Amino acid sequence: MAKAFSIEDGNLTTVPLTSSITQTYKDIDLTFAKKGSGDVFKKSDAAAVRQSVKNILMTNQSEKPFQPYFGGSLNNFLFELSEEFSEIDIKETVAQAIQNYEPRARVKKVNVDLNPDYNSMKVTVEFTVVTTFETVTLEVDLVRLR
Amino acid sequence: MAVIRSSDLDFDAIKENLKTYFQAQSEFADYNFEGSGLSNILDVLAYNTHINGLIANMGINESFLSSAQLRSSVVSHAETLGYEITSQSAATATVTLTVSTSDTTTTQISLPKYTTFTTTVDDITYTFMTLEAYIATNDGTGTFQFKTSEGLTAIPISQGTLKTKTFIVGDTADEQIYVIPDTTTDTKTLAVSVFDTTTSSSFTTYTDVQNVVRITPQSTVFIIREAPNGFYDLIFSSNNVLGQSPQAGNKIVVQYLSSVGALANSASVFTPDNQISFNSQTYDITVATVTNSSGGSEKESIESIKANAPLAFATQQRLVTAEDYKALILQRYSNVLSDVTAWSGSDNVPPIYGRTYVSLKFKDGISSTVQQATKDSIQTILSENLAVMSIDTVFTDPITSFLEISVSFDFDPDQTGSTAQTTQDLVKTTAVNFVTNNLNKFDSVFRKSLLLTEIDGLSTAILNSSMDVKLQQRLIPTLNTVKDYTINFPVTIASPDDVNYRVESGRFTFSGSTSIFRNKLGTNKLEVVNIITGDVLVDNAGSYNASTGVVSLSGFNLTAFEGESVKVSIVPANENTIKPLRSYILSVDETLTSARATIDYQNTATTL
Repeated sequence: MAKAFSIEDGNLTTVPLTSSITQTYKDIDLTFAKKGSGDVFKKSDAAAVRQSVKNILMTNQSEKPFQPYFGGSLNNFLFELSEEFSEIDIKETVAQAIQNYEPRARVKKVNVDLNPDYNSMKVTVEFTVVTTFETVTLEVDLVRLR
Repeated sequence: MAVIRSSDLDFDAIKENLKTYFQAQSEFADYNFEGSGLSNILDVLAYNTHINGLIANMGINESFLSSAQLRSSVVSHAETLGYEITSQSAATATVTLTVSTSDTTTTQISLPKYTTFTTTVDDITYTFMTLEAYIATNDGTGTFQFKTSEGLTAIPISQGTLKTKTFIVGDTADEQIYVIPDTTTDTKTLAVSVFDTTTSSSFTTYTDVQNVVRITPQSTVFIIREAPNGFYDLIFSSNNVLGQSPQAGNKIVVQYLSSVGALANSASVFTPDNQISFNSQTYDITVATVTNSSGGSEKESIESIKANAPLAFATQQRLVTAEDYKALILQRYSNVLSDVTAWSGSDNVPPIYGRTYVSLKFKDGISSTVQQATKDSIQTILSENLAVMSIDTVFTDPITSFLEISVSFDFDPDQTGSTAQTTQDLVKTTAVNFVTNNLNKFDSVFRKSLLLTEIDGLSTAILNSSMDVKLQQRLIPTLNTVKDYTINFPVTIASPDDVNYRVESGRFTFSGSTSIFRNKLGTNKLEVVNIITGDVLVDNAGSYNASTGVVSLSGFNLTAFEGESVKVSIVPANENTIKPLRSYILSVDETLTSARATIDYQNTATTL
């Protein structure tokens, strides 16, 4: 059954009412590596989402202008005393940050491996890209150098 | 293509503009996701724009006196308007200083500058000091009373810590600015001395340019101004343009008081820190407080500067309006004057154009020599330099009008432990104090209801009150001489009445009889009456003009009068409000002020 719209509502008789848009994620590569043509590389689809998730995790809260709650604060955890937080705290923070600020990713699992004797931590995030259902695993190894 | 609006200052709005721009192209799509690299780049761009916009906005705001927020900007704007910003001010009290000795040979002693006194306000001890040296002369019995150069016994002492800064003048081509790194400096207390060399004992005293009216090549002036960081910059003439400049190798010694401002106000008891020595003997200084410390204040606030600087600029430090005369004269001669009023010749009675009339009220104890010197000084320093050329300044002595206040009140003894007599005395004292404290200066208006309100509030036993007010001028007649007299009142006089007299005088001797003069009931003619017998001695001794407030006596010849003058009292047309004109000052005649109580037990059950 064809639906009719008034002229005031846009006279859509010549325009299809529904369309299927394939969402393509296209982002700039934050390494700013140079292509042969001199242009910067792009990240697309799952790679773009993966870069975004890593960016969120590595941003400390209050670091981004005018968005004080943005970020997973992994750097902050790295420089805090190991007694003041647990692996669960990190897991919750990471999962919450991705949920709040990366709608393209659905977190499946977060794994945190703390190694306070070596001032290091390893965070593994497994998530699904919403549009493609592709499962991506991101590993972040952090070590204090000073 | 989307338009990027450059007028947005808000970070989110700027970023949203950039996103809108990206919507129109397909190269990158992730600008909407906060974690994306593109979003990070947009953050940097938006933040940069935001900060630039903010700085531009603040810069423009600081460029105008009315919108500036930083004190340094406001101070700078005020300076370009020639406005002198008030620094932190030291509280000042006045005291009498006496030294009692048995030494009758020493004729004169001096009290050095910066003699210190200690006092306490709210359990905190403060030091006050003299800012000048004072001289005391032996009264013949060994008692020395210090006096100011004007002859006043009230010596001013100011709160603060004496600080000294010494500068050596370098190459004058450098146009040095001498910094006083003290935000609590009271710039009014600055004493600047310039010595020829670092070891020289002779020096030249420099004066604040704000206190100088005319500058010649020989003038020795300095400029003190607040620096952006709250300190003070001391500046001298450059290349002898603004008077003399200190020369290379000179030593500049600056002494000033660093004060605590308003905290030291209301100190009342002062103790000298040291005794005074002369003729190998040491004596105590006896201090009696004349006025408690007051006038201590913090630095002028930003809001105050914003309000006053444009107004000060408008006056241009010139004597143009009557208010200019009042403000400038009082500002420069407040050490001897308690009040000033001025009015244009066109407002005078009779009008005389081309003149400004000035009336000065001197403080008690100022000698006639100092009074004349002050008038001469106003004429030569202020009028001749700052007034409009064709306008002459004419001094008029203030005329005191005395109020005679008669209060009647209902008094319920059950409401208080005080007697009617005590309450009468209290009411009379209140009336006298009301006039003394609120009037007694130029342009002060007596309002009957204000005094009645004060009286009603004295005690619950005072049930209601009413008041008759008369105004009195004092006539000093020439004895044994037939003469006409005119007595001017600053108010209109009540119209003649068949019951009450409108004009009445005090007692005098006329043709051998103790007499008074008064108006004939129902007329404005004056008659002289024997106060003992009631006989009318002169039927037509003059008249009074109710509308102009003038009482005229014709062919009047007295042989004696009671007291120092003949008191002439009138009933004002409006007793509720008495506005003295021009040079008139309202005071009170205590002897003719009275209060009378009527006993009222508030018993409403009694019959009429």
